Amino acid sequence: MVFLSAPKWLRSRLTDRFWRVQEVLKYARHFRGRKNRCYKLAVRSVRRAFVKSTKARREKKRFLRALWITRIEAASLEHGLKYPSFISNLLKSQVELNRKVIADLAIYEPKTFKSLAALAQRRRQEGFLAALGDGKEPEGIFSRIVHHY
Amino acid sequence: RYVRQLQRLQLLFSPTAADSRGARQFVEEVALDFARQHPDVVLYVSPRTGLAPVLLAEYLNGTVREELIASKTSEEIKQLATKLAGQSGLDIIRIRKPFHTDNPSIQGQWHPLTNKPSALTVQGPRLQPQ
Repeated sequence: MVFLSAPKWLRSRLTDRFWRVQEVLKYARHFRGRKNRCYKLAVRSVRRAFVKSTKARREKKRFLRALWITRIEAASLEHGLKYPSFISNLLKSQVELNRKVIADLAIYEPKTFKSLAALAQRRRQEGFLAALGDGKEPEGIFSRIVHHY
Repeated sequence: RYVRQLQRLQLLFSPTAADSRGARQFVEEVALDFARQHPDVVLYVSPRTGLAPVLLAEYLNGTVREELIASKTSEEIKQLATKLAGQSGLDIIRIRKPFHTDNPSIQGQWHPLTNKPSALTVQGPRLQPQ
């Protein structure tokens, strides 16, 4: 659509302007104030919104992990264990569940979570016996490691 | 067994307009082969003057999708038609979670009284379990 001579230049008009503007405004419809109506303000707000949403994808992972940890801590305190000892004893008993799954279990399957907490507690006691008892008592049952290779 | 979700494809184009050239070529050359390769899709070809040429896809769950085929070659229209034939009628938006359950909890969802001892099991200095 390149017109080479100047007198013909005035004959080309932009007919698409409405749709080009709507393409931007459709992402600004739920904003507050004049940003959801006026194109000039909306362009800036929409660009910032996209940039923020791109950067927030990295933060979302951190935020969700912190949320799961809070929930697991609350649930394990109900059963008398603190979060660091719960997690470390679960790992020592070779239960490799991630925090998302343990948090979902704590909400939707409370009895399973109670048994996990009891397992962590038992492993904790066996750990104390192994560290303080000095070899005369037999090895703890839940401290045995299963090799899968 | 696979059930194709595409019910019918309506090809609406004008017999004389310039942007329907690809649609006319598609109807002349490729449409019969396409219809034979996709026996469970019904292909309707109807003339429509004055408006832009359009490929209308209707799915089993009721969604209707319109695709503009103005100034497209017959090869591109064939690719578009095969793409529509492979889709289901669900709307194309971001799926928030790739999983869904109607019964998320089997043991009963946690509520603040799940892990508290009830009046039947309280062991106090004076209260006995009844």
